[in-house]
Amino acid sequence: MNHEEIKSVVQEKFLSSERVTAFLCDAKVLHPEWVKRDRLLAIVEYGDEKAVFCLFSSCYPPKSFTDLSIEIVLPIDNSFKCEIDNKPSDPEAILYLNLQSRNNKFKFEIQMTPRVDNFVDDLFRGIEAVNKISRQPEFVWLNKYSIKDEEDFIAENIVLPRSGISNMPNTAPVAIRESLIKRKMCDKESEYTFTKQFTVFCGTWNVNDKSPIIPLKGWLNIDKEPPDIYAIGFQELDLSKETFLFDQTFREDEWYCAVLNYVDKRAKYIKVEKVRLVGMMLVVLIKEKHYPFVRNIVCDTVGTGIMGKMGNKGGVSIRFDLHNTSLCFVNSHLAAHVEEYERRNQDFRDICNRTRFPQVNQQPKAIKDHDQIYWLGDLNYRITELDPITVKKLVNENNFGPVLEWDQLKQQHKNKNVFAGYHEGLIAFKPTYKYDPGTDNWDSSEKHRAPAWCDRIFWKGDHVKQLDYRSHPALNISDHKPVSAIFSVEIKIVNEEKYRKIYEEVIKQLDKLENELIPQVKVDVTEVDFGTVRYLELQVRSITIKNTGKLPVEFEFIKKLDEANFCKEWLIVEPYKKCICADETCEIQLKVLINKTSACKMNAGTDQLYDILVLHLYGGKDIFITVNGTYQRSCFGCSIEVLVNLNMPIQEVPVGKLVELESKRDQCVSNQSTYSIPKEIWFLVDHIYLHGLKEPNLFEQPGLHSEVLQIRDWLDTGSIDPIPGSIHSVAEALLLLLESTADPIIPYNLQSVCLRASTNYLQCKQIIMELPEFRKNVFLYLCEFLQEALQHSAENGLDSKTLSTLFGAIFLRDNPNLIQEPQSRINKQVIDKKKAQFVYHFLINDHSDLIFSK
Amino acid sequence: MAREFDHLFKLLIIGDSGVGKSCLLLRFADNTFSGSYITTIGVDFKIRTLEINGERVKLQIWDTAGQERFRTITSTYYRGTHGVIVVYDVTNGESFANVKRWLHEIEQNCDVVNKVLVGNKNDCPSRKVVVTEDAQRFANQMNIPLFETSAKENINVEEMFLTITKMVLRSKLEMKERQNVSPNDVVNIRKNHNKGRKKCCQ
Repeated sequence: MNHEEIKSVVQEKFLSSERVTAFLCDAKVLHPEWVKRDRLLAIVEYGDEKAVFCLFSSCYPPKSFTDLSIEIVLPIDNSFKCEIDNKPSDPEAILYLNLQSRNNKFKFEIQMTPRVDNFVDDLFRGIEAVNKISRQPEFVWLNKYSIKDEEDFIAENIVLPRSGISNMPNTAPVAIRESLIKRKMCDKESEYTFTKQFTVFCGTWNVNDKSPIIPLKGWLNIDKEPPDIYAIGFQELDLSKETFLFDQTFREDEWYCAVLNYVDKRAKYIKVEKVRLVGMMLVVLIKEKHYPFVRNIVCDTVGTGIMGKMGNKGGVSIRFDLHNTSLCFVNSHLAAHVEEYERRNQDFRDICNRTRFPQVNQQPKAIKDHDQIYWLGDLNYRITELDPITVKKLVNENNFGPVLEWDQLKQQHKNKNVFAGYHEGLIAFKPTYKYDPGTDNWDSSEKHRAPAWCDRIFWKGDHVKQLDYRSHPALNISDHKPVSAIFSVEIKIVNEEKYRKIYEEVIKQLDKLENELIPQVKVDVTEVDFGTVRYLELQVRSITIKNTGKLPVEFEFIKKLDEANFCKEWLIVEPYKKCICADETCEIQLKVLINKTSACKMNAGTDQLYDILVLHLYGGKDIFITVNGTYQRSCFGCSIEVLVNLNMPIQEVPVGKLVELESKRDQCVSNQSTYSIPKEIWFLVDHIYLHGLKEPNLFEQPGLHSEVLQIRDWLDTGSIDPIPGSIHSVAEALLLLLESTADPIIPYNLQSVCLRASTNYLQCKQIIMELPEFRKNVFLYLCEFLQEALQHSAENGLDSKTLSTLFGAIFLRDNPNLIQEPQSRINKQVIDKKKAQFVYHFLINDHSDLIFSK
Repeated sequence: MAREFDHLFKLLIIGDSGVGKSCLLLRFADNTFSGSYITTIGVDFKIRTLEINGERVKLQIWDTAGQERFRTITSTYYRGTHGVIVVYDVTNGESFANVKRWLHEIEQNCDVVNKVLVGNKNDCPSRKVVVTEDAQRFANQMNIPLFETSAKENINVEEMFLTITKMVLRSKLEMKERQNVSPNDVVNIRKNHNKGRKKCCQ
């Protein structure tokens, strides 16, 4: 399948109007939660909008579009960023592509091929194009691909505490949970709020450095009903140098008092906030009865004047929440001069970008982050292209339409260069600038400025209706006339009871999600029965763990309290720790092997074939897995003292009796015992003595494991059949039996004495003389037998050196319970040599005196 | 920064096998009920967030296997528990008789801890064998609040969990207050009082 064919499959995944312009195979997503498997990256174009898609293919190459699933959609908009790194160690072969769009960040690993160039070129063409188009791309066509639902969102972000409550929970998921609650509550706002109509009065006046020497009633108090909110902005409150430099003015109080004096007296008002920067002042008042529902009042000022920073121009703003609606009022004084409309646009953008309202526990809010925005002020836009005489003539005839066509603000607004998304009401009043102060006459100074609607009021937000928009020419102390607008607006009011209920629902929903994200697995068997388990016979059972949750899960068999290992010594669990991806399974093998160490404990009743394993899921539950079985008792692993007392095959001995004998083995005395050596040892030795002394490679050639097990059963059941297996198997069984006795033939505590005495036959003899009776018997019996075997060395190839090394290790076993310093190899060789030396004496010397001394 | 919760508490549900421990948890955390009986083999937990007096309390509720053979293992999960819910089945007298043993288990493995006694499956009067009066008398004797619930019919489950949560919250606030007054005294009293006892709880 060539590149073009794959491309056509990918294209089928999209509508025909959505064109795949470039694509890449084998891109790997580098994400901790995602399997690092190959994915396809495609750039898709719709009209002049482009987006990057990451697709997963269930087979490769994809045969049909149904094999493909869309995993990530990254619209190429203004927020889109693309960075390319290469691996320093391997600059040729691997590229790292970092893509970011709308707070989603992904990293892809890409094989460097010629196709990559095409893809990256296309990507950058897309980025360039988006910066060129003037309108905001909307990406409506992507809505149908928005696969990322809430659950995935959480799944990627919430990490549960790893082992229960004691760990400090990660702070990141907290924030995410918090913002999820916010988002959900926001989505459901209409369910717990109702709306109420409020009236908002906005007024703006450039007072041109004047004091309030006239009543303001004609501006602030002319409506039928007192408004719920007053927002009153002033510009050029004080033009003195002192104010500009030190930002102090007595005019602030003068005008503020004047406002308080002349607002509608039918209602009682309380100040929400007052803010001033040099000559710009904004006052927001609210009816007293609404004041308890005003929260989070914050104000900010931005200077855009001299050097783009000073406060001679700029904006002052006040934001607050009224019930559940956020309101923002901005009073601005933008750059002056007829031709400077670009500068005014820039001032607007600067005020938007630089105004920030700090919030408790949240990101600071910008002006745009409000339900309703009211922007008033001396915006300073003028009339161009019309000569002042014509303007004056038209406006004096109240024929505003033709003039407004040349209003810079109308033009700039229409082209979305300023106040994009804002509205302005119909202007049905004369230009408010420029008059001779104290009159209604147009500016008669030398400049003869053309009249202009400098003073304006804009708004943004749903459910805002302007009732009136007017100027107040009677207030004539300034070269500007005041302007005001009155709005009827919807304010969202919270129904506390409903809010509580919905809040609880949201919390419950999130809890539910969180619970669903707790790792879940299904284990097919929680009780593993091994049935009958025999000595040295490996038994295997398996259990299957299936990850039924939504996330990869890591399991581990963990230790129970006060235990050194997570399972008993006779059990092997593989693997005991692993990560399983969602919907995948893992088979765990449980292996039981009873060797000499565990057999002794089973016989003595200090251990049994029973264990409970704790399967722990990280961040989740624990599952108990019970392992049990019945141990078929065997002479292997019994103590010599017990074996000499058994006058029947071990399998016929009641379990309780065996345990009792093992526990009392120290008190075993000869006159009560049945045999002087264990009959099992005698059977094996006697068999070799009768049939195998001449067998070549005796004791050196290993037996067959299956035959050794048959011999084990033959011994344990007391069969009357001839002993099964070859001589070599019998010899191996003998060695295994001697090695597995509960205690070694020469007790551990005598080992060091033996090693010290190993060069001295007499001392060695002395030690043997003092051995516990049955051990001594076994030792001497075996040595006699070995001497006999050495008589036939010509046939069986044995020599005393080899035999003494072999049996030295058996007679003088190292204590497994003794924690030794790691023996150096040389040291171990020395010890082994001494062990052999000890036994050697008894293979070459006549020690019948010891036997007869009995 | 944003806060997810003001308090994080660990609650433990114990009681004989088959009394409905998992069902109580499922009802409280997910508001669901399943009639088919799946015995819990291990320990499982779920979370639920509550708001009590304007404080957000996140509960991590551990459900344990009730089978006798797991008793020694499950006792290790008592560590760090703030509240224990001891459940019996009102239609099963033996499960009520065993409550004493479960209380003893708490005694052995926990320091001071809040407890509630819960008689579950209280939805079929004809099958009820543990009468309320007997249970109440015993509860009074032990000074533990008693709740008769039905996870199946969703009776009293919310109330029961809410009560134990409030108890745990109150204990925590009282402890804080005492520590603020005279931290030394508190430590001393606790030390003397609990000498020789295994101390697991915070």
